[in-house]
Amino acid sequence: MTWQTFAFVLIAGFAFSYSGLKFKTLFELMRKHQGTSPKLDRIPERIQTAIANVLGQSAVNRKQPIGLLHTVIFWGFIIISIGTVEQFASTIHSAANFEFIGLGNYALLVRIQDFFTTAILVAVLGAFYRRIVVQPAGLGVSKDANVVLTFTGTLMVAILLMNAFFIVGHNPPYAASMPVSNALAGVIRGYGFSQTTNQVLFTAWKWIHMLLVLGFSMYIPSSKHLHILAAGPNTFLRKLDRAKAMRPIDFTNESLTQYGAAKITDFSWKDTLDYYSCTECGRCQDLCPAWNTGKELSPKKLIVDLKSNLYQNKSAILSGKSEEVGPIVDGKITEGVIWACTSCRACEVACPVFIEHTDKIYETRRNLVMMESKFPAEVQTVFKNMETNYSPWAFAASDRANWAEGLEVKTMAEVGSADGVDVLLWVGCAGSFDDRNKKVLRSFVSLLKKASVKFAILGTEEQCTGDAARRIGNEYLFQTLATANIETLNRYAVKKVVTACPHCFNILKNEYKDFGGKYEVVHHSQYISQMIREGKLKPAANLSAKVTFHDSCYLGRWNNVYDQPRAVLEAVPGLQLVEMKNNHDQSMCCGAGGGRMWMEETVGKRVNITRTEQALETGASVIAAACPFCMTMMNDGVKAKDKQDSVKVMDLAELMDQATT
Amino acid sequence: MAKILIVAEHRDGKLKKSTFELVGASASAGNETHVALLGEGVADLAKEIGNYGANKVHVAQSAALKLYNAEAYTGVLAELAKGISPDVILASHTPTGRDFMPRLARRLDVGLASDCVTLAFEGTGIKVRRPVYSGKATAEVEFLGSGPRMATIRANALGLGKPDAGKSAESITATANVGETKTKTTDVVKGSSARPDVTEAAIVVSGGRALKGAENFKIIEEMADVLGAAVGASRAAVDAGYRPHRDQVGQTGKVVSPALYIACGISGAIQHLAGMRTSKTIVAINTDAEAPIYQIADYGVVGDLFQVVPALTDEFKKIKEH
Amino acid sequence: MNIYVCIKQVPDTETKIKLNADSSGIDPAGIKWIMSPYDEFAVEEALRLKEKNAGSTVTVLSAGPVRVVEAIRTALAMGCDNGIHVEIAEAADNNIAAKALAGALKKEAKVDIVFTGKEAIDDGAAQTSQLIAEHFGMPCVTVVLGIEYGSTSLKCKREVEGGAVEMIETSLPALIAAQKGLNEPRYASLPNIMKAKKKEVKTLKSADVGVSDGDQKIRYKNFQLPPPKQAGKKIAGDASAQAKELVRALHEEAKVV
Repeated sequence: MTWQTFAFVLIAGFAFSYSGLKFKTLFELMRKHQGTSPKLDRIPERIQTAIANVLGQSAVNRKQPIGLLHTVIFWGFIIISIGTVEQFASTIHSAANFEFIGLGNYALLVRIQDFFTTAILVAVLGAFYRRIVVQPAGLGVSKDANVVLTFTGTLMVAILLMNAFFIVGHNPPYAASMPVSNALAGVIRGYGFSQTTNQVLFTAWKWIHMLLVLGFSMYIPSSKHLHILAAGPNTFLRKLDRAKAMRPIDFTNESLTQYGAAKITDFSWKDTLDYYSCTECGRCQDLCPAWNTGKELSPKKLIVDLKSNLYQNKSAILSGKSEEVGPIVDGKITEGVIWACTSCRACEVACPVFIEHTDKIYETRRNLVMMESKFPAEVQTVFKNMETNYSPWAFAASDRANWAEGLEVKTMAEVGSADGVDVLLWVGCAGSFDDRNKKVLRSFVSLLKKASVKFAILGTEEQCTGDAARRIGNEYLFQTLATANIETLNRYAVKKVVTACPHCFNILKNEYKDFGGKYEVVHHSQYISQMIREGKLKPAANLSAKVTFHDSCYLGRWNNVYDQPRAVLEAVPGLQLVEMKNNHDQSMCCGAGGGRMWMEETVGKRVNITRTEQALETGASVIAAACPFCMTMMNDGVKAKDKQDSVKVMDLAELMDQATT
Repeated sequence: MAKILIVAEHRDGKLKKSTFELVGASASAGNETHVALLGEGVADLAKEIGNYGANKVHVAQSAALKLYNAEAYTGVLAELAKGISPDVILASHTPTGRDFMPRLARRLDVGLASDCVTLAFEGTGIKVRRPVYSGKATAEVEFLGSGPRMATIRANALGLGKPDAGKSAESITATANVGETKTKTTDVVKGSSARPDVTEAAIVVSGGRALKGAENFKIIEEMADVLGAAVGASRAAVDAGYRPHRDQVGQTGKVVSPALYIACGISGAIQHLAGMRTSKTIVAINTDAEAPIYQIADYGVVGDLFQVVPALTDEFKKIKEH
Repeated sequence: MNIYVCIKQVPDTETKIKLNADSSGIDPAGIKWIMSPYDEFAVEEALRLKEKNAGSTVTVLSAGPVRVVEAIRTALAMGCDNGIHVEIAEAADNNIAAKALAGALKKEAKVDIVFTGKEAIDDGAAQTSQLIAEHFGMPCVTVVLGIEYGSTSLKCKREVEGGAVEMIETSLPALIAAQKGLNEPRYASLPNIMKAKKKEVKTLKSADVGVSDGDQKIRYKNFQLPPPKQAGKKIAGDASAQAKELVRALHEEAKVV
């Protein structure tokens, strides 16, 4: 056994033990969480998404040119690891190398590795250039990133030099298959080192290479580079349907004493995997409407702070002393951070490793609201109204059907059962009480009649779906409303529902299932689009105008409905559709989601004003919306910019109603 | 013709108009009108009471009656009532009247009809009607059993008659035995702003974004001061920095239900409506004839608030003077 | 401290009022019942006082038919310790309610302080607080905006007209009728809502508290609904003409100025 073998085994043994212990701690921390584990369902889909995004680097490549750089480094590392393994093996036993695969194959192997080593070096230099010279907004200075890049770059240099010295000393037959290393070898030859010197230098760079790798392995557990181990599993375990968000709480379970997340350990182990997977790339932050308008909330900072909270509480967690574990809202994470979120999920769409930021915020809200009764003061009235009047506004429940006066709209009570109608029209609170939105409902009713659709409403039997309550964190109030609605809907044997409000649409479609309410739910944009396709609606009137469509978060990112609203607009003669800079799944939230419609916005710039500015930039004279809250927000925005005389905010139903007879 | 006892109310050496209202109503209905005047150094006020038609003014004076104290008033009035044996005892439904009248009713073991908006004298009794369920209905009050019929009357409900300098009342010194009280009124502190809180005010005048500036709210404040009203603002005006958040009326601000709400330059979007739509009488002033606020306004003025509001203030001043 | 709160269950503010067949009252069908809003300030004050004095209890009382137990549970969910329901007839007046509540209080071992709301939003009579105090034999301060607590006495701020306040000192025990602004009522936390379902609510009958029909002093009759709201009138003319006409209408028709 040579001294190198001895030294390597000793050092490697130490390095792997060290990092092994650290990984064990990380794993232990993960296990000591109370929250519900995610379901391991739909395995084929999971395998597919893992292949596409991990091997295929699909999500990473949504942003360029950094996506390309990362792909090179990712694939490069996998390939050159073959060389690293070979290096370690041959250090232990000199004859252990991969040349047994045959010269031709080996030459190809080293050619590929030589290429990727160089490519990685170039990519690292590119990454450094981006961080130091370009300095993208929001990226910030990351000591961790600089250490990792330095490690990587030096490692590549070490490999190339090691290869070069090897070529000079041993003149292997495959030298020409390693163009870069070979060229370096040529330069080295120029120095005319003696055989001994050459061997020493080769050994030196070989050791530098191996020590860097071993050192790196010790560094990884405490660095964001941990993502190389966590991101793959995190992708595999991601929530496949973004819309199916909040877990129901079983209030009949008397053993439950904690509702929502107060401490970091109230989350699940999957949440921990999220923190481990975060590379602090900042893509989530780039699209966050709260962060971009000066609020305290940055999704990136939230994940970093949650990870930091986990590590702060490490000893308490590992020793099982749950009373000593500090709260999530620990000063780094403030109540301002928790309340600023609009649940738009742009952060989740942007994240290349599929971190689920929003649910952590909403679980924390549940604790704040239901356990500590800590929430923005103005929200208390909203809760009381929903409890007493079944609507967030203080209008009498008995007035809920007044909007339909004179329209000859039947109620389910009159029809008797859902068999008597094609579809139930779910009006929602805005449609029932907001004067502006009542017009939208009237337009939609007019369209349904034009298309000879048999429909009915629940009228005064309809209660608020409870979306606002759930998003603000009052799960108890939400379930009270949901169970009442489900009882009514099931009593009439309702099968198909159409609604003009994306919040109602989302919750009826995706979240009522957990409480016994299974219905086929469509948004009115989808329904109108279908009526056009089936020839039941023939838009004929020319509404010559430039129109831009504001994607509602609960339609678009939450439920992937992007095309049908646009199809409706494009079907109207004369409407010229222009897209805002941020559209489809990059669309900017209007600011009303996540229950924020009911809260005061006192920090930074108004979200709705920023979005309105984006809409006005298109030069459109009509801003088309498909949601009562978006409509309110955009309307307020247009008025605030004093453009109400030249720009109108209209719902799709209103435009279609104008275009049809 | 009945024997009526009215409890006079005064503040800072001046009798309240509502006292004259009651005296006038009783006297013009031909009743034997007695008035109880409690306080310290208030004997001269009896003269003015006489001008409205009272027959007798019972003046009970004591240092213990200088500042209003429920126990003191109740004790003195109970004794006075036992001596006079009136058929009816009346007071105004003011912070003072509504406070002691129930206690007096208990001492005399009779019922009390509070906050009545109509009053008719019938024989030795009264017929009164009062609003219930925040004014969504009214009901007549039937008095059960025997004893004086007691009622507090809402200010301005009956209307003020004209005083007659030729009329006068007999001034009688009444006993003012106060004795030990468990409560003491130590002071009356004037408000920092004479303006009431927007949620409890009887009249609210609100301004919207159309005011275009914090300084312009002066015209709103002037109208409010003439009316003794509170000043409110729409969210747009608060956002623009014209008024502080505590003045905001609406969904996320304050919910108000005054007898009169005057909305100046407010369009009436749902968030604002949610905060004021249960006001009894709503006036809207706006340049946009199609503004949604007109849907719920009882009186709509389409015009420029910078002209209408000052004109209104002048007209209100005229009314308040008389 | 033994702290007590008297609350009343009333129809919610948004309820549409319909009269019953003979106009002797309102039609109870479809009414959503809630704890009278001013009572919330009373409950909150009681709870805060309890939190400042270790070992105190808060008992919530309400007089009325069986349905009022729900309002008692709401107060229990906010944090009150136990409830007492005093059963009286639906048509009972303020005096019966007050005598019943005072009777229930008299059966308690020791009453240190009682809180109520300044008035109930159904009848708005603003009498019951004073009547309870008179029946029990304790001083009462109404429309209270602020309290300074001493060991055997209180200093209260009582709201009067024109934004002024009367400073009133009272010995204990005393009854305080709370005005809006005395505090910010808390929203019941879920653990407290769950606990409230199991807390004890004692029931007392009218006879238990010495109340009979003869204690009724007034009765409401001949209920009327106000004339339906007319569609808004648009006032024409120039600014000064509009002002004149509007003020006339407000003074003579609406009678609000």
